[in-house]
Amino acid sequence: MNDSLPRAAGQGLAGCHTCGKVAAVTLGRCPRCGSHLHLRKPNSIQRTLALMAAAALLYIPANVLPIMTVVELGDVTENTIISGMMTFWRQGAYPIAIVIFTASILIPLLKIIALSWLCLAASGKLNPSPNMLGKIYWFTELLGRWSMVDIFVVGILVALVQLGNYMTITPGPGALAFAGVVVLTMFAALSFDPRLLWDRLEILGIDPSPLKKADP
Amino acid sequence: MHPWPKPLGGPHRSVCHFCDTLHVAEPLPEGTAARCVCCGAVLYQNRPASLVRVTAFSTTSLILMVVVHSFPFLVMDAASIRTTLNLSSAAGALIHRGSPILGVVLALLTIVTPLSVAGGMIYVCGPLLFGRTAPGAVHVAKWLNKTEPWNMIEVFLLAVLVSLLKLSKVADVHFGMGFWAFGLLMFCMAAAVAGIDRNELWDRLEVAKS
Repeated sequence: MNDSLPRAAGQGLAGCHTCGKVAAVTLGRCPRCGSHLHLRKPNSIQRTLALMAAAALLYIPANVLPIMTVVELGDVTENTIISGMMTFWRQGAYPIAIVIFTASILIPLLKIIALSWLCLAASGKLNPSPNMLGKIYWFTELLGRWSMVDIFVVGILVALVQLGNYMTITPGPGALAFAGVVVLTMFAALSFDPRLLWDRLEILGIDPSPLKKADP
Repeated sequence: MHPWPKPLGGPHRSVCHFCDTLHVAEPLPEGTAARCVCCGAVLYQNRPASLVRVTAFSTTSLILMVVVHSFPFLVMDAASIRTTLNLSSAAGALIHRGSPILGVVLALLTIVTPLSVAGGMIYVCGPLLFGRTAPGAVHVAKWLNKTEPWNMIEVFLLAVLVSLLKLSKVADVHFGMGFWAFGLLMFCMAAAVAGIDRNELWDRLEVAKS
């Protein structure tokens, strides 16, 4: 690996997570902003996996329990995330049904699968292909927040639909569980260190830089 | 406006946060970005008129927040009752109707975080316009870094649209002033956050302090 690009960790240098300053890791704290310096985020894989496991467990009550209860003229209807989406679909509101399906079901599931896969790759259980994995990581970081949309919808509906005996809406326990899933997966994505993927490549002796040849 | 200053000493280096490749950080012309030679991730960008833009858009955001909180988002007429929704009533309704934790989370993501991001940006970048640092600006800038991913106003905007479609079947719902102000707020917050590169902000803080 003599002709490969220099990596900061190889020279004992760390880029500060907060301010981006490059400093020797032996300093302990960033000379500019005072944050702790690490070559890699500490216990990255363990933390990410623990948060993912908690999120995956919470994902079950989030989908089984009602996210809101609608009382209309004495009729009580329990709405889950899936039933809310199905209602839109049956009404023919396909674009909005697809948005809800993507934000509330697909993205959390993909995120849990993708981050577990990244952890396996980073710990050497799978052979990584860097650009693909990089794109997956970027995707999970970018899209995770949009899952919160259903929780906000519950809040808005509870606030608006208070029509006495005619119709009222109250939040259900599923909403809290689902908010937990979103927050935990966001923390999991933040605690994952993508540099571990490139460390694996270095260990395996694969040249990780496809751009280097095109742009010398 | 002065171009992106560099602290004394050098050579200045930059590490790719994605793949840990070490680069020499060259000054860039305004409006361009430096990319990692290994993985292609953006290392740093030189935003044109960064401090002026951030301060202006953050100030506009704060003013828009006052408008957003004073006017309703949605107005609903059903069963001869008119109900209105504004930003704080969604969180308030959750707190009073059986899910206080969720209400607090919603308030944090849609009210507290946007307010602290916009306020923090003005506090850090305003004095930097005149080459000074406000007391504790380093701590505020660190706090900005941590809170910024939790600013979810654009997600709330989508939620308002989804709710409108959900309710339009059972009631007469229309947008209020607050909704349009919120759309503008989303645009201004995005422009403020994207207005300055993290590395530039910290280089400016370091230069102004020394």
